[in-house]
Amino acid sequence: MRLARVAERVGAPALGVVTLGLLGVMFVYPVAIVLVESVQVPGGYSLAPITAILTDEFYFGVFAQALSDPAVLVRSFPDYRLGLFGFTVYQAILSTIAAVLLGLPGAYVLARFEFPGRRTVRSLTALPFVMPSIMVAIGFVATFGRNGVLNTVLRSLGLPTVELLFTLKIIVLAHAFYDAPLIARITAAAWEGVDAEMTETARSLGASPLRAFRDVIVPQLLPAVLTGALLTFIFSFMSFAIVLALGGLSLATVEVWVYDRVNQLDYQTATALAVLEMLFSLALTYAYLRYEARQRATSAARPAERVDLFGAVSKRRLFAWGYAVVALVVFVGPMASMVLASVTGSEGLTLRNYQFLLDRQADAYDFQVKPLTAVVNSLLFGGGTLLLAVPMGVFLAVVSTRNFRGRKLIDTLAMAPFAVSGVVVGLGLLRGFVFGTEAFGYRFTIAGPIAIVAAHAVGAYPFVTRNVAPALAGIDDSLVESARSLGASRVRVMLDVELPLVVPAILAGTAFAFAISIGEFDSTVILASGGTSYTMPVAIERFIGRRLGPATAMGVVLLVVTGVSFVIIDRLGEGSGFGG
Amino acid sequence: MVSVGSLELDAVRKEFADTVALDGVSLDIAEGEFFTLVGPSGCGKTTTLRTIAGLETPTSGSVRFDGVDVSGVPTEERDVGIVFQNYALFPHMSVRENVAYGLNFVEPPDGKSTDERVTELLDLVDLSGMGDREPDQLSGGQQQRVALARALAPAPDVLLLDEPMSALDARLRETLRRQVKRIQAELDVTTVYVTHDQEEALAISDRLAVMHDGRVEQVGTPREVYERPATEFVAAFVGENNLFRGEAVGTRDDGTTTVAVDGTEFRVADGDLAAGDLTFCVRPEDLTVDADTNRFEVTVDTVEFLGETTRYYVDWGEKSIVFRTPDPHDAERLTLGFDPGDARVL
Repeated sequence: MRLARVAERVGAPALGVVTLGLLGVMFVYPVAIVLVESVQVPGGYSLAPITAILTDEFYFGVFAQALSDPAVLVRSFPDYRLGLFGFTVYQAILSTIAAVLLGLPGAYVLARFEFPGRRTVRSLTALPFVMPSIMVAIGFVATFGRNGVLNTVLRSLGLPTVELLFTLKIIVLAHAFYDAPLIARITAAAWEGVDAEMTETARSLGASPLRAFRDVIVPQLLPAVLTGALLTFIFSFMSFAIVLALGGLSLATVEVWVYDRVNQLDYQTATALAVLEMLFSLALTYAYLRYEARQRATSAARPAERVDLFGAVSKRRLFAWGYAVVALVVFVGPMASMVLASVTGSEGLTLRNYQFLLDRQADAYDFQVKPLTAVVNSLLFGGGTLLLAVPMGVFLAVVSTRNFRGRKLIDTLAMAPFAVSGVVVGLGLLRGFVFGTEAFGYRFTIAGPIAIVAAHAVGAYPFVTRNVAPALAGIDDSLVESARSLGASRVRVMLDVELPLVVPAILAGTAFAFAISIGEFDSTVILASGGTSYTMPVAIERFIGRRLGPATAMGVVLLVVTGVSFVIIDRLGEGSGFGG
Repeated sequence: MVSVGSLELDAVRKEFADTVALDGVSLDIAEGEFFTLVGPSGCGKTTTLRTIAGLETPTSGSVRFDGVDVSGVPTEERDVGIVFQNYALFPHMSVRENVAYGLNFVEPPDGKSTDERVTELLDLVDLSGMGDREPDQLSGGQQQRVALARALAPAPDVLLLDEPMSALDARLRETLRRQVKRIQAELDVTTVYVTHDQEEALAISDRLAVMHDGRVEQVGTPREVYERPATEFVAAFVGENNLFRGEAVGTRDDGTTTVAVDGTEFRVADGDLAAGDLTFCVRPEDLTVDADTNRFEVTVDTVEFLGETTRYYVDWGEKSIVFRTPDPHDAERLTLGFDPGDARVL
């Protein structure tokens, strides 16, 4: 009894110290390493590496010149050379526009129509959160590649084929594929939150249906659209695997260039670039979180009645049907093409690609990727990630639902990995731990696999927190008060009442963490370079250029794992926390 | 604009996919009248209101504004103002912008500017100086009054209120009720008020219609409906009541009818021998312990002290009966009775 009380008093803070310690080691320290290295010059510290980038036309185009000669902005208007950063922003803007254009009609269909399977489609809009980006890339190659489904169809129709790989178009389209469902989801939720009585009131005051839509619905949707657009911009700005696989170095973004510098062992440039990128993405994420917090989730007392999707032909139904066709092609197409490509070859239907995954295992050279090793590594790292990310995520969720001084700091820290790209975390871990770090006169190094698990855990625990925190916050205070009045200590209440009630959310968070780990590419590709700790996504990237068949087969394996995780998340969770 | 606002519903029927919401509703509402639709949830009162507003299209039957059939006229072209239960204030507009919204579509009355009109309305609902607030900075009662001001700003012919008080607590409801009634009387605007609260309906209305299962059970002034319920449903729904089902077995010289209820004979004033089976009701306040007639012995079950009166739930055989009296009684068994004239035959 007494022992239990001591354990309680010591246990909770201890768990806190361990969690914060892990966060420090796995996230804060690597990021700090990147920060420090970016300003480290022989014999001391200097901002020179950063200013060198800021004034380099390669990175900032005309804006680099403008630092010393602002008039250049006027002289060369509007024919600007963008530079690497400018291009990254430019492609993110295009991607955001494309995602909004593709997502908004989806929001309309989801919010205003009734059709069989509507709920399923609605859940599926959360799928991109767990979808490995490299899998999306392989799906796009299978669809739009030189011998992809699109060109096969065009050829069979006797039409000229199109070359989309390594163009900006396909990058933008892939980003839209990724983020349009998110925009549809957030906007549809806002739309459903507008009471039918609002429109009816406007109508009774004299507004036409169109006018009522403009005056009453649109202003209430705008914040949601903006939230989604901001998020899309951030994701597209930091996007890595898609740009690397579909664009290559000729269409490199900052993130891809950092990766390339790492590969070229030019760590000075890599860290300096990473710092600039991080400043930008942190500012954006901060703006996003501030803006999102201002939104109040409304739920309509009486939502507007839905229109049956199937019925007499009308303008709005035609529009919805048309959109459904576009959505099928854009969203289902790439995944279907990937599956199709994995089971077809020159001889027709075949399992050759899957066979290859097994055969290659036996006869690969040491420098070649062994498929089965990739699968096993992925599963092992996934398991390791859960061991770290789930307790951390749950603990931070508990903390974030308490009131105390300094909570905001912990909240921010808990969500910070959203704002720092995987490549930066990977780079920091590589420089800090894999290459070794000196402390107390000893040199500490950790192996690649441990660093990979750490990187995955950093990417995964915010999803655990975002699943569990709302569930915890949703528990009626009177349950806690009842238990305490019956004699339970605060920690006992947590263990006996609150945690059991959020088990589904914890399981959903667990599935999320697993899916994130399985699909993680950005930091893994840096930490696994040159070693044997490659995962399925890394294997796909290495196969993608040379062997499309095996790449798609492995993509299908990834799709199955992701799909199962998603079903668990969908059944048990409260969504991603983004416009749930 | 000629001041108008009479309303007629003629055999309005409204079917939804698998239910009949309105089953032949006919109403005649006069200019300037405060008319209430009251009934339990699902009785069709809100559907009736929405049909008047043009938010629902009747399956058959017609709605006439000042004698003119408005079938097919969209809501925005009907001269109505609506206040909903949840107020439906536009969250992205200030109080002032909310109230002014309807003035985008019609000129403010009496040659006033929009600003003057909005100020006038805010004064009317006692919200002077609150124009720059956002809706979510207001209390429920204030939001309700903004919604009222907004509905009234374009000077509609007909004001439609859909349970506007039900989200408020009891005391505030009574205050606002008086205020709504005062404003309505001041503006003399035809008002259709929907509520499930029969007490509120009695308190506020010039006339009311009691609805049940998509039909109008009775239309009358509050006093008529309370004192002369037309049907068993009205008798039971409006105020407390005791229903007695029996058989008319004879008449007396004084014109009363004898009704046998479970072996006990009662005399009621306005019975009809030819009716055979017959139901009458007696209000709790009309049952007394010292009556000379219609006496029957009961066992006290529960006593509730209500302040001015005390309410007794008593058992008469299998039947539960309620009565109210200003004078408390301690006995476990009581003899109750009532005047034949206080029994209302349904």
